[in-house]
Amino acid sequence: MSMAPVPRSSKRQLGLDVLFHALFWASALLVLLILGGLIVLMATGGWKALTTFGLSFFDQSSWNPVKDRYGALAPLLGTVLSTVIALLLAIPLAFGTAFWLTNIASARLAAVIGTAVQLLAAVPSIIFGMWGFFTIVPLVARYVQPFVNHHFRHAFILGPLLKGPPIGTGVMTSGIVLAVMIAPFITAVMCDVFGAVPPMLRESAYGLGATRWEVMRKIIAPWSRNGMIGAIVLGMGRALGETMAVTFVIGNVTSVGWSLFAPRSTVASLIALQFPESPAGSLRLSSLMALGFTLMLLSCASLVVARCLRGRRQ
Amino acid sequence: MNRGPTTLAEDVADSGGEAALAVKDLNFYYGDHHALHDITMDFPARQVTAMIGPSGCGKSTLLRIFNRMYDLYPGQRATGEVMFDGVNILENTVGLDVLRARIGMVFQKPTPFPMSIYDNIAFGVRLHERLSRAEMDERVQDVLTRVALWSEVRDRLKAPASGLSGGQQQRLCIARSIATRPEVILLDEPTSALDPISTARIEELLDELKEEFTIAIVTHNMQQAARCADRVAFFYMGGLIEVDTADRIFTNPRQKQTQDYITGRFG
Repeated sequence: MSMAPVPRSSKRQLGLDVLFHALFWASALLVLLILGGLIVLMATGGWKALTTFGLSFFDQSSWNPVKDRYGALAPLLGTVLSTVIALLLAIPLAFGTAFWLTNIASARLAAVIGTAVQLLAAVPSIIFGMWGFFTIVPLVARYVQPFVNHHFRHAFILGPLLKGPPIGTGVMTSGIVLAVMIAPFITAVMCDVFGAVPPMLRESAYGLGATRWEVMRKIIAPWSRNGMIGAIVLGMGRALGETMAVTFVIGNVTSVGWSLFAPRSTVASLIALQFPESPAGSLRLSSLMALGFTLMLLSCASLVVARCLRGRRQ
Repeated sequence: MNRGPTTLAEDVADSGGEAALAVKDLNFYYGDHHALHDITMDFPARQVTAMIGPSGCGKSTLLRIFNRMYDLYPGQRATGEVMFDGVNILENTVGLDVLRARIGMVFQKPTPFPMSIYDNIAFGVRLHERLSRAEMDERVQDVLTRVALWSEVRDRLKAPASGLSGGQQQRLCIARSIATRPEVILLDEPTSALDPISTARIEELLDELKEEFTIAIVTHNMQQAARCADRVAFFYMGGLIEVDTADRIFTNPRQKQTQDYITGRFG
């Protein structure tokens, strides 16, 4: 039996193949190029400030355009504290909502609430900023601050943390607004994570007589650990870099202190506010770029930590 | 596996033995869909009852009623009666954790929990009993021995259960379900994801387990039903067509539909 000759690809097909090959390579390389470009731009932009102030840039608390002295401590502290508060508030909320949506709610109710969560996650941050300004700031000023001032003024540790003029702005308020902003986002991702737990695995645990709480704690949580870390890191990334919502409610004062209720600033809000009034080539602009560079490093560091947390499991 | 078919057949057909589960006028609904129609049958104690029938006939649905698994899903409900130890388990007053400890379940695919082999067994036991370390060790060894897994895993009890082979995992799941000392074990196509050798081992295991437990097994595999079951129930479109001894069903069924199904004319 003679075999039919294997048909050769036409020249045209070969040409297309090469073309697509090149396109895919190019798009992959573009990612590296953009990342590298960003790092180089921020580093060179901030070089002047970093060489002028050296490492004291990071522990210098004053940000003083009049004396032309700039330190990153105040905005960095503001960013980190706002993010930590936001995560502390958002994680339990998101976990509870996601678990309820995937394990307890009826299909119809879950569809309604689930869609609402996704809509919330898609609301632009400036809307949260305005909402925070008109709702959370007055609430904190009128009720929360008088309450904590009255009851905890002299409390150990808590006292200095909670005192402050009843203005309503500060890292606590910005943390609350950020929490409301990132909680739907974390919830949406966690829903996908919990939804990926095989139904049979859940039923096996229920089948042994476990309660919902036991199934959640002993089966679903360990099974979804990596996914939950991923969801939290995504939320944290948003909180770290959030600009508009924070600018509305943090008060925008570059000061350092223990109080969570005093006006502060964050890296992103400071850059957004001062960028337009910083002349090209000035030390001030360079300091802002150095701040941006630091924020980038901070985000990268959080990603690395998340990777390590995930890696240890496998 | 080598029982005398005739003697056992007569034995079972006559009495059926005392019923571990007695189903009467059972109906089941998935929302508006009426999935099971007026089912009445007994599951004799310490026998293997197999449920066969084409996909969607309701056999798995019936199994999931016995441990009230449907309770997890809003919109699913059952009416009628399933008597177990003098109680109608469909009633809301039944404690589901206790019920599920006394009626264990094994699924289509092995479902090891994300923890060690030891903890997979201990998980269910800890939910219901306070055992000392030594008692728990003993319980774990006992059930692993009974599913013929002890010699294979005794050196790696602390290793993740996900590292076992599919057949080993399924035997682990059976061990896990008997560790809470149930009276009934429900098996929902327990070998459908396993290779023939693992399947044979599970079937042998069933033969030993029925000395002590009442077993209800859903299977797509008619040879399996013929090999393992004392009694076989044939379901079609949500109805129980016929239930009888395995020999009777496979040699001389009363209903034409059963005949057609077991000879492969539909299904």
